[in-house]
Amino acid sequence: MIKILAACGAGVNSSHQIKDALEKEMSNRGYNVKCDAVMVKDINEDMINRYDIFTPIAKTDLGFTPSIPVIDAGPILYRISAMAAPVYDKVEETIKEKGLK
Amino acid sequence: MLMEKKEEKLFAEDNVYISSKTTAEEVIQEISDKLLADGLVKPAFYENVIGREKDFPTGIDLNVVNESLPNIAIPHTEGEFVNVRRVIPVHLEHPVTFKNMIDPSASMEVKFLFMILNNDPEGQSNILAQIMNFCTTTNANDLGAFFKSTDKKAIYEFLNRSFKDQKA
Repeated sequence: MIKILAACGAGVNSSHQIKDALEKEMSNRGYNVKCDAVMVKDINEDMINRYDIFTPIAKTDLGFTPSIPVIDAGPILYRISAMAAPVYDKVEETIKEKGLK
Repeated sequence: MLMEKKEEKLFAEDNVYISSKTTAEEVIQEISDKLLADGLVKPAFYENVIGREKDFPTGIDLNVVNESLPNIAIPHTEGEFVNVRRVIPVHLEHPVTFKNMIDPSASMEVKFLFMILNNDPEGQSNILAQIMNFCTTTNANDLGAFFKSTDKKAIYEFLNRSFKDQKA
């Protein structure tokens, strides 16, 4: 299973939308993806190391450099295919490059 | 007997506001005070919304949807500071500056707020997704007229109808 960490300020709205959208689209593309939605302030190195990809809403200063690929997922929030597709493509590209399963 | 779970309405006619404030802090303070008086939020709501807005802004550029639409913002905070699941529409009489949610280095002028009170993020359909569906699928002329309206009853009815249609 591919594990993705989505994050936003409050952990209640944006990150949950990213989670729902990524799980649905990646499943449609044939990948077994599980995405968790959390508050940025709760992320530490131990937590992020348990995931394969980090998808914040915007560029985010975590206070450390994430060891996993970071993909800004903000455009997904618009729910417009043309805006979301490049994010999904980048996630898929990363899955392929890293050989994630 | 199978009981169908009743989904609460996202909007309340009494909680539609028109604000003449000119800064994000002033608007959020004004609306937070009203929501606190109505028992919809907890006393720490305002300071948490403002704090979050500085670190994780919520302005949404609708120019990319349609150039004629004004920008919106969706101020919110964690569920522990609210008592309900509701969206609070606020028409802004003057443009108010917010930072862009997906590019916090950019500022934008906002003319309408959807303040999200969400004490149940896992529970039902995603509130932000519904707001974005509303902004991206509603007829642009109708949406333009809606954003200009200062009639609270009309704002409430349009939102209620549009969000209901969305779920159908």
